[in-house]
Amino acid sequence: MSSEPALIQAQAIQRVRGTNDVLPPADARLRGLEAELRAGFEAFGYQGIQTPIIEPLELFLRKSGEEIVARMYAFSHWNRRLCLRPELTASVMRAFLGDLQGHSLPLRFHYAGPSFRYERPSRARFRQFTQVGVELIGAAGPAADAEVLHLACRGLQDVGINRYRLIVGHLGAVLQLLAQLGMSEHAQGLVLDRMEPIGRGRLDVDKAVADVVGLLGGPAGGQANGAVSSGLPDALASLPPEQATAIAADILARASLPVEGGSRQARHIIQRLLAKANRPDPTDQVQAAFEFVGELQRLRGFEVRTGLERRGLSTAPLDEVEGALSLLSAYGPLGDGVEVEVDLSLARGLRYYTGLVFEIYVESEEGPLQVGGGGRYNDLVRALGGRASVPACGFSYGLERVDLARPALDQVVQPRVLVAAVSEQDHPAAVALAFKLRQVPGLVVEQDVRLRGPKAALRHADRSGILAVVLLGQQERDEGVAVLRDMRTRRETRVPLDQLAGAVRAVVL
Amino acid sequence: MLAAERRMSLRLALPSKGMEEDTLAFLGQCGLSVDRTNPRQYRARMRGLPSGPVEIVFQRATDIFDEVNAASVELGITGYDIVAEHRSEEDDVVLVHAELGFQRCSLVLAVPEGWVDVSSVADIAEVATELRASGRELRVATKYRNLTRQFLYDRGITYFELVEVSGALEAAPALDTADIICDLTSSGVTLRENRLKTIAGGTVLDSQACLIGNRRALLADHTSLEATRGLLELIEAHLRSRHQVSLTANMRGESAESVARRVLATGDVAGLRGPTVAPVFAKDPDPEGGAWFALTVVVSESGLLRAVEALRRAGATDVTATAVRYVFERDSWTFEALKRQLQPSKAGDPLKTRTRTTAWSSS
Repeated sequence: MSSEPALIQAQAIQRVRGTNDVLPPADARLRGLEAELRAGFEAFGYQGIQTPIIEPLELFLRKSGEEIVARMYAFSHWNRRLCLRPELTASVMRAFLGDLQGHSLPLRFHYAGPSFRYERPSRARFRQFTQVGVELIGAAGPAADAEVLHLACRGLQDVGINRYRLIVGHLGAVLQLLAQLGMSEHAQGLVLDRMEPIGRGRLDVDKAVADVVGLLGGPAGGQANGAVSSGLPDALASLPPEQATAIAADILARASLPVEGGSRQARHIIQRLLAKANRPDPTDQVQAAFEFVGELQRLRGFEVRTGLERRGLSTAPLDEVEGALSLLSAYGPLGDGVEVEVDLSLARGLRYYTGLVFEIYVESEEGPLQVGGGGRYNDLVRALGGRASVPACGFSYGLERVDLARPALDQVVQPRVLVAAVSEQDHPAAVALAFKLRQVPGLVVEQDVRLRGPKAALRHADRSGILAVVLLGQQERDEGVAVLRDMRTRRETRVPLDQLAGAVRAVVL
Repeated sequence: MLAAERRMSLRLALPSKGMEEDTLAFLGQCGLSVDRTNPRQYRARMRGLPSGPVEIVFQRATDIFDEVNAASVELGITGYDIVAEHRSEEDDVVLVHAELGFQRCSLVLAVPEGWVDVSSVADIAEVATELRASGRELRVATKYRNLTRQFLYDRGITYFELVEVSGALEAAPALDTADIICDLTSSGVTLRENRLKTIAGGTVLDSQACLIGNRRALLADHTSLEATRGLLELIEAHLRSRHQVSLTANMRGESAESVARRVLATGDVAGLRGPTVAPVFAKDPDPEGGAWFALTVVVSESGLLRAVEALRRAGATDVTATAVRYVFERDSWTFEALKRQLQPSKAGDPLKTRTRTTAWSSS
């Protein structure tokens, strides 16, 4: 095959799907937006923090939930399991655990940086996107929640977004119910992971129940295809555990099924077998859990409280939400364009949230656009290896989405000036002249470096939106002047060098 | 120029080793013969296409995806499991025919038989958590890293480690280099011999042989696309003909119409569209009067006896049955589908349809 001519022409290299080249002027606009948002956070005492884009995969496996984990850019590099960060909160908390634990609490951080999720790209969803956010570490309770809520609202207001919907929820309601139902942590995770797609209408409740029951081993308790009929564990269940284990091991050995499994001990295998047999069918539990989620979605206002009370659940989650919202109003009115909604079924894609959670949506032509969200995650520090749990909360914006949602900015005309030499001999003098002009505050002074003469320089200036051109030739140098051309009026004047700065300013600023 | 003259209309990679025999048998059934002067040679010619001989390159099934992607061959036959594991959003490989109907197997999770407490994927999730609590990771040996990882993640299982095993994967649990495996199985015999068992919900992928092609190479060269069409026609016609039988019979009647009506009235011999009825010019005049007609109809193998019985009831004699080798339809459906796949998909790319800022759209 190598003897044959190349049939296929070398193809241009495309950017990776779901990523963007941020070109001018979008780059300046986005950097400006990020700076504006972060400056707002600094006024509240938040300090900037940067963490690496690559992280150990493990950091996100612990508490992120399947919505995130299944969409990570993960890879092995020299036997180290790494990933591109899908978000920044876990990284900030890892940094806190590593180096900042001795500091007096609370600690306040703001950050901005690219995050990566392997999702189907769409208008406002990219595989690389920029998170801008804050974390408030070491404070529990509605006062801290309210500060974070306020920062999220205020930032939008600062950049001109006055119409949005703030949805506030609390994981506590659902977590309480799951615990009341006696669901295992694994089962709880499976339910929590499906709350978000249900809330967004991407998954219906019956399908969710079937999925979770299936993943929990099916309605029959998962005995299908098992090596042991379900009758044996039933019979053994009535015996004391040690005796049951011994008998089971003996029977299995006689059936020439030696219980051995490399890293698993026979004792564990048999204990799990017996425990499994005693476990109830998960269908009812799962059904009840999703029914509750659906109920929380439907209930409004005071019905939520009575709904919780009817099930014998604590109303503390609702109290916390109401407490935080009433404190939020102490920061000042949100404005007429802001709708606030309480929805205790709100679950974000991340599994580490433990308390109040919120999301902010802006109405766009293509429907609601989520521009930011966050919440309280009191267990993350412990999940990441901390000795005690540290209360913390935070939120982040999707920078590109905030950009998309805010009103279009007026086109800013840059005060660009081009200084060009008439011939190569004049170039050093032109460089010195440009250097002087850059002392004028606000001026953007470009130097002609192609040295193709005044005509080419003027054509370039015309095509690239340069407002003024300063030309310098032998004759001008002899006379101590420069030619200043206003590219909009096309008028040329000969200006003495000592008056040039003022004349240029008058043309472009 | 010399090289261009030597080039045949199409280059097709075929799997060597395990899949070779089945692949050659399949092509043979499609009327395509591969002559290899020497079984150790890895190049051969395939005859049977009107567009001329096809250059055959024998390669390992696992390499064929890469060879097609790199356009060193236009087409290749390999396992769907390999395509599913190796394909990415931005490769140049199109699935020309997804189901060639042979080399059927499944990619499955298998656990030691001794794990009597494990019968479903849900148990795997718990065992992974249990091992994790004792400071260990569930080790999964597989050659299908992408498919396995995604399968487990999608089921909420995140605590595991994929391990690479050289040599027989099935032996990994016994040798304690892995806890469970994810591997291909067709009959399950190898798994059982290694004291492994499959579990409920543990099928990652069902696979069979498939035909893949290089998008750009097929688009760039009209002759190879035409040759591909010929190849697909034969494959499709063969696959459609499988388990079909052509029946012919003689029947007496007043007219072709009345014979056809009687046959259709039985309900069991409708054929692909309906029976073909043609007059028979009898060598001896019929003493009972009336004319003879010959009838041809294609039925499925499973309905053969029922169809013969129905024909007898309608008055047919001399029923013969022949296996159908090809069924050609008016258009090759898979070729039409291939042409659609080859269309550049730019219109559907959401990044290209952004309206607001020019700087974000593609350059």
